[in-house]
Amino acid sequence: MSQPAISKHLKVLERAGLITRGRDAQRRPRRLEARALAEASQWLETYRQLWDGNFRRLDALLGEMRAGETPRGLAQRRSQRGRRRGLPPPEPGDTR
Amino acid sequence: MIGAEHLTIATPTPRDVVVTRGFDAPRDLVFDALTRPALLQRWLEAPGRSMEVCEIDLKVRGAFHFVWRGPGRKDVGMRGVYLEIVRPERIVHTETWEDWDAGESHVTIVLTEHRGKTTFTHTARFPSQAVRDGVFESGLEQNAKETYDKLAALLAAVMSDEDSGAHQEIAR
Repeated sequence: MSQPAISKHLKVLERAGLITRGRDAQRRPRRLEARALAEASQWLETYRQLWDGNFRRLDALLGEMRAGETPRGLAQRRSQRGRRRGLPPPEPGDTR
Repeated sequence: MIGAEHLTIATPTPRDVVVTRGFDAPRDLVFDALTRPALLQRWLEAPGRSMEVCEIDLKVRGAFHFVWRGPGRKDVGMRGVYLEIVRPERIVHTETWEDWDAGESHVTIVLTEHRGKTTFTHTARFPSQAVRDGVFESGLEQNAKETYDKLAALLAAVMSDEDSGAHQEIAR
């Protein structure tokens, strides 16, 4: 990476508050704002966990669907299980 | 094509969030799991809440209505309208939240299949960056929004730098 490119990247990071610039004679030492970075990745991690939980349940459901059941059979089984659990049966439109 | 169970989340612009995930199943099954209420209710949860209302009128200009409910928590409701349906590869729909006057988001879901495995791509375009940030605020610590604003500013800066294409603002 060229020196101008490095300067450009540092300027973007500085504007975003992820690094700060000091002053030491001719040098401009940059300091990493670790707290800001940690919070940014924490936000992404929270969002990721939300999707990840849903997708793991979807993995299990797809595994069941793949295990040789026709969609219609699965929906019927779901309906029976739903009644046992006291859940409402599938909507009237939920057939193919 | 990405591997089964591989999850990525990207924020290519301040209004967009792109989620991709691989699934070890053909895409017609994934399409069913996304569009049939009895199947969707089994996996699509909100934090601490399961989906108790799931009404889907799967046709162009057809509506859907979801409500997630959990003990001791406020109900979360969402409504939307289907704009495009191409079974089993593509769905485009709008999204609005009940009890939150946040405007309308657009969601595009694309399913691609390779050797019996599916790549799911979910692109959400929010009406504004503030709404996108609001969606993400739940369950986060108090400083997260501020930090997220910084991250969004960073992304916007990187993109505008790329748009202008030049190195004008380099090293004074």
